Amino acid sequence: MTKAISRRAVVALAAAVGTFLSMGPAAAQDTIRIGFHAPLTGPAAGDGESAKLGAELAVEQINAAGGLLGKQVELIELDDQAKTEQALPIANRLAGDDVAVVISGSYSGPTRAAAGVFQEKGIPYISAYGVHPDITRAGDYVFRTSFVGEVQGRAGAKLMAENVGAKRVSIVSINNDFGQSLVAGFKEAAAQFGIEIVNEYYYGISDRQFGSIVAGIRRDAPDAIYATGYFFTGGPLVSQLRSAGVTATIVGTEGFDSQSFIDIAKQAAEGVIITTSLDRGTDNPVMRAFIDDFEKKAGFPADMVAATTHTAVLVAADAITRAGSVDHAAIRDALAATKDLPVSTGVLTFNSLGEIYHEIGAQIVKDGAFTHYATIDDPVLLAPPTE
Amino acid sequence: MFHLELLTVGLIQGAMYAMMALGLTLIYGLLRILHIAHAALFTLGAYAGVLAANAGLGLLPAAIVAVAIGGIAGPLVYLAIYRPLLDKPPYVALIAAIGLLIALEDGFRLVFGPYGLSFDNNPWFISGWMIGGIYLNAVQAAIAVTAIVSIAAFTWFSRRTRAGVAWRATVTDPAMARTFGVEPDRVRILSFAIASMLAAVAGVLIGLLNNLVEPTMGSIIAYKGLAIIVLGGLGNVPGTLVAALLLGVAESFGQTYLDQILDRDAIAFLVLIVVLMVRPQGLFGKAG
Repeated sequence: MTKAISRRAVVALAAAVGTFLSMGPAAAQDTIRIGFHAPLTGPAAGDGESAKLGAELAVEQINAAGGLLGKQVELIELDDQAKTEQALPIANRLAGDDVAVVISGSYSGPTRAAAGVFQEKGIPYISAYGVHPDITRAGDYVFRTSFVGEVQGRAGAKLMAENVGAKRVSIVSINNDFGQSLVAGFKEAAAQFGIEIVNEYYYGISDRQFGSIVAGIRRDAPDAIYATGYFFTGGPLVSQLRSAGVTATIVGTEGFDSQSFIDIAKQAAEGVIITTSLDRGTDNPVMRAFIDDFEKKAGFPADMVAATTHTAVLVAADAITRAGSVDHAAIRDALAATKDLPVSTGVLTFNSLGEIYHEIGAQIVKDGAFTHYATIDDPVLLAPPTE
Repeated sequence: MFHLELLTVGLIQGAMYAMMALGLTLIYGLLRILHIAHAALFTLGAYAGVLAANAGLGLLPAAIVAVAIGGIAGPLVYLAIYRPLLDKPPYVALIAAIGLLIALEDGFRLVFGPYGLSFDNNPWFISGWMIGGIYLNAVQAAIAVTAIVSIAAFTWFSRRTRAGVAWRATVTDPAMARTFGVEPDRVRILSFAIASMLAAVAGVLIGLLNNLVEPTMGSIIAYKGLAIIVLGGLGNVPGTLVAALLLGVAESFGQTYLDQILDRDAIAFLVLIVVLMVRPQGLFGKAG
């Protein structure tokens, strides 16, 4: 008896949830919907928050300027917890949600998994800052508004050799798609530049205690350390290295590009150099405006995640305008034709694979803030993949 | 020398695990509950510590505030969540514990933000000593000292005080203990208080060592703690302490020599699987 009741209750609940979910698209005819997913909860929620604020800022700016095709833009935000297994349900949900285009404000794992679904369903999909090369290889509906990990890794090696002048380098890397693709590019180019890799250490995304890695680096005594990870791993790593008396130059990547990195590592962050998509020293008016507007909205300084996600939304909006409709195929064609578009990370043109080329900036931490350090511009070394 | 340094790092990590696992095994011994939400009290302690320290209290008073808050919050968890479930099958309490951990983690995120908090001033972290080629900072030293002192104090408490005897009697036979005038509920409240104070101080120390207090900082230790108490032989206090130290050392060496194959956080579960295959009662549990 109770079993029958509870089963009926479950059916009723499912029906109610189904009705609630299906009400969304029906009510949305007078707006243009842009799908968005990011790690809004879980260990990567800090980056998810920046991505969300970056995307929301872009949507607010578009709507304030009159929207797209005479309609207001609506952002459909979903949480992927930076987990690959969340990507498929999220992709399927967004695909059924009548979205014109979908933006990933998330890491490589979920983005790579979701890319296949959007390609199959023919929905244009833009990865804001996921670095794994396979993301755009999902097909011609998938684009990326930042560099592939390997490209950024190669830039790191050039910076290491030419600007830092390091000969012996130890690598400390997070052991996920992000870290592996950066390290692959770094090692490939390091060989060209005559850098000796003394040792390599790998850690997991939830690691915060690097005692044994620090001991290993003290034994290696390298000229410099190439470090990948995120602000929440990099902050503790850099602090622990410095507190143990390691003075080698630390070159990080865009994963450390967050004020939180400096807030965690404090004094230890001074002198840390990173490769990134956000140039805080720029005098480009579009980029400058983003940096100022973001800080006004968020209450904290802009970071790479926010800049690339803001860029991705602007790229999508530009394509919808040029397509003149919300037809997926028309938007895809317009995206593929994106050329010299001024955005918050620079000027953007997609190649045949949906990848971008632009020079890679390096920033250094000085007096508690990221400032311009160098620009690495090498069209051969930093060429994005084309297939 | 390098290996000696790895051993030191591992023992310190193990000492932190010991402080966490001791509380878990206490509660398991008493209530047969796998108290996964213990890790949320670890995080709560870390937040209390960082907020108090950043309010200008100084590190030591901030740690005391954190311990006090842990000592209050632990019994509240017992009274509000576990006590109403005591007559239900054990998995009900386990599900409640997992739910509570998730709810509190998201609560921390909503209240204190997703980026985490850092100590404005962390003098213990930047002061350290080079002892015979091994580097030790003051937070690591504090973890070792706190673990030794608190575990020694706990041993003294359980062996030499009336409350300790009552506790052991309740573990062995609650009904019998009651006939001798021991109130099991009071013993349980006390155990939650002690366990949670240990978790809170461990949280503050790890917050200092990472220089970062974040909503999900307890999520790995939550499950690793379970692996440790199973390894130690559920409810077996000395076994748990040894298992905690062993795991710390295994992780320290594993991070150096197995890092290309295995996450540090996977080592606990690898060891757990191997031990359960060879000795299902745990390393130090009694067979049968």
